[in-house]
Amino acid sequence: MSLVAISGNASGTGTLTIAAPNTNSNYTLNLPAAAGTVMVSGNMPAFSAYQSSAQTLSGGVATKITFTTEEFDTNSNYDTTTSRFTPTVAGYYQVNACVTFANATAAEQNRTQIYKNGAQAKIGNNATSTVNQGATSVVSALISMNGSTDYLEVYLFATGLGGTTPTNAIAGATYFQASMVRGA
Amino acid sequence: MTLFEKIKALYPTLQDADFLDTIRLQNDSDGKGDYIAKWEHPTLPKPTDEQLA
Repeated sequence: MSLVAISGNASGTGTLTIAAPNTNSNYTLNLPAAAGTVMVSGNMPAFSAYQSSAQTLSGGVATKITFTTEEFDTNSNYDTTTSRFTPTVAGYYQVNACVTFANATAAEQNRTQIYKNGAQAKIGNNATSTVNQGATSVVSALISMNGSTDYLEVYLFATGLGGTTPTNAIAGATYFQASMVRGA
Repeated sequence: MTLFEKIKALYPTLQDADFLDTIRLQNDSDGKGDYIAKWEHPTLPKPTDEQLA
């Protein structure tokens, strides 16, 4: 017969309590035959931030996009001053970013990019627009993070911009999100 | 004239696609402006500061 052992930690002083829900039914929690860390809401970071102040970008340049307003940040891992996400739990993260322009002043192409530790990691779709049209480029990727020094940022590479085309700085149009999907 | 425009004027044969691949101009939105983050073009040398002044 296999056994279930619960061991304490000699270095700690806290008490770990396993609490039952308010129920009159019986349930069984089946443990997997695998090693790993149990993931609960408290150790699975997730955040969502959006741009609330429009940026004007230069053509031919990968420009860091700023997202200064948080919708949520469950583990305080997103910094609105640097627009960086630095998760403190190691694992694999689903990352989404979307950048929208309001009205282009020239024909342009836009690619949203995820940067990891200051280097280009993933490139989104090439969104094209003509004069007085909007354009939206999105990127979605699964990225491994070490839980200490790794950080993510969003850049946008644009061509053909006349230098006066602003981003569409609203929550539904220009945003940056990430959520842990499993531990390391 | 932007950094991109200066480089395009210096090397008219460069295409927009070159700036996604072998050349990367970057702006970190930190107030320091545009700079050359990567220059790995197979034939054209990286422009000097004097050429871009």
